[in-house]
Amino acid sequence: MRRILAALWFSIKSAGQNFRRNLGVSLAGVFTMGLILFLVGGALLFTHSVNSILQAQQANASKIKIYLSDSASLASIADFQTRLQHDPRVISVSFESKDQAAKEASQDPDIQQALSTLGSNPLPASLNLDIKQLTDLARFDQMAKSTPIADKTTATDYNPDVINKLHTVINIIEVVGGVIALILFVISLVIIMNTIRTAVYARRTEIEIMKLVGATDWFVRWPFILEGIIGGVLAAVFSGGVVFAGYHVFVQAAQRSLLSLPFDGSYTVTLLILLVVGGVCVGALGSYMGVRRFLSV
Amino acid sequence: MAVAERPEVAMQLNLRPVISFHGVSKVYPTGTVALRDVELAVLQGDFCFLVGASGAGKSTLVRLLIREEVASTGRIFVDGQEITRMARRRLPKLRRKFGIVFQDYKLLSKRTVAQNVAFALQVTRPGQRHLREKVEEVLWIVGLEDKVDKYPDELSGGEQQRVAIARALVHRPRIFVADEPTGNLDPDTSWGIVQLLLQINHRGTTVLMATHNREVVDLVRRRVIAIEGGRVIRDEAQGSYLRPGEATL
Ligand SMILES: Nc1ncnc2c1ncn2[C@@H]1O[C@H](COP(=O)(O)OP(=O)(O)OP(=O)(O)O)[C@@H](O)[C@H]1O
Ligand SMILES: [Mg+2]
Repeated sequence: MRRILAALWFSIKSAGQNFRRNLGVSLAGVFTMGLILFLVGGALLFTHSVNSILQAQQANASKIKIYLSDSASLASIADFQTRLQHDPRVISVSFESKDQAAKEASQDPDIQQALSTLGSNPLPASLNLDIKQLTDLARFDQMAKSTPIADKTTATDYNPDVINKLHTVINIIEVVGGVIALILFVISLVIIMNTIRTAVYARRTEIEIMKLVGATDWFVRWPFILEGIIGGVLAAVFSGGVVFAGYHVFVQAAQRSLLSLPFDGSYTVTLLILLVVGGVCVGALGSYMGVRRFLSV
Repeated sequence: MAVAERPEVAMQLNLRPVISFHGVSKVYPTGTVALRDVELAVLQGDFCFLVGASGAGKSTLVRLLIREEVASTGRIFVDGQEITRMARRRLPKLRRKFGIVFQDYKLLSKRTVAQNVAFALQVTRPGQRHLREKVEEVLWIVGLEDKVDKYPDELSGGEQQRVAIARALVHRPRIFVADEPTGNLDPDTSWGIVQLLLQINHRGTTVLMATHNREVVDLVRRRVIAIEGGRVIRDEAQGSYLRPGEATL
């Protein structure tokens, strides 16, 4: 136990010393890592924000009205409504009578004019559904068309064009965000490995001497890995700070332009943890791989 | 032979070879043949000089011992273990048996004298107690007690050499190997170092010392192994630097 603690203490001390002695290279490494973590964090937050804006849109979009035939009996309507209410894909169902429909519609003065000219109310009663998934709308449209109580001419207000477009946009953004994050991750690993290898190259004689005096690979490796971890954490903290400052500004700008974008606190925390974990992993892994080729003494 | 002078020691130690070479050759990737068919046995407690002209292969022999280089053919045993095919992960343990003074010292330039010496202890025995005292003691022995906190670049060649000696001694190795440990030292200091090596040899440490220092070899009169062109050409129990009647090496 004493030996392990002593070895650990030795590693920590050498890691700290090395970091300070090679401040230039160390800072360059931290800076690159920070820059990449910043880009990754930024890309993730941006995707997340755009997604949450779109999701708000999607929530609005996932509404469908099933127009009811004037001849449908109240009992069969109530029956249909209960059935819909028990469907797991449905958030809520509400009944809108002919009068309510007319009242709603008559907010538009032109329609009010037309209604009063007609004398009778041509607007159908409807069941207004709130659906969880945008993609299910088409199914409900199909279902309405096959129900006898629905209006024969226009069963629903479903408009596949708008829905499909919105859906495509959401998909594209998710894919593009994912691809960008992946590319950045690969680039970061390559850059960091090379930065660390340069840093290690400057110390190859030191490593060689340690090995010749009888040090194990891990004894040599630990200080470098700890150093990588310290660098990773520093980079994560700095880039995290910058990303969140940027996010804050972005959210405020979005709110000023009336986009529904709340400051997502829990996602922020998750992302910060993700950045730190990412920094630690990339720093440790990069050091491990950077040191490897010099250990073959 | 060193032990032959003290039969009681030889009995105790059972005359087991600590180091043995069997038909060892070394060809560097450049094509240079540095050692040819070397046969050699060094007993526990021996004191050997390794002599030979520059380029004879002395340093190569030392490098093979700690597996800094791998023999091209033949087998090398250290402490009964065959080392030419030893797994890489077992090398640290092998190397810790030795205290080595490298011809080019191999000091860590970014660590102080004390840290360089302490390093050998931390590597071999992490958690060592009284680290500072042990380091200071050995530095005092080599006469560097006032250079403890200097960096290698701030020392003269001879002082650096003595730091290397201190580092090789501090963990009390079973086998002490020195490649030209007196190359940069004045006659008095050289003699002091040799006395020190004789002392640790007297306590049971096997000593192997490659050297060009003729006076020392001729004065001490211990085993001399002479190498020429990679071959062992002479191996005498109480030898001299040159064969009687030989003008130069
Ligand atoms: N790394 C190497 N690669 C190729 N050839 C080498 C290497 N090291 C040594 N040699 C060659 O091997 C031969 C023996 O070299 P070695 O260093 O063992 O000699 P030495 O006896 O220690 O000489 P010196 O007394 O000058 O230190 C020389 O011809 C040298 O040029
Ligand atoms: Mg040499």
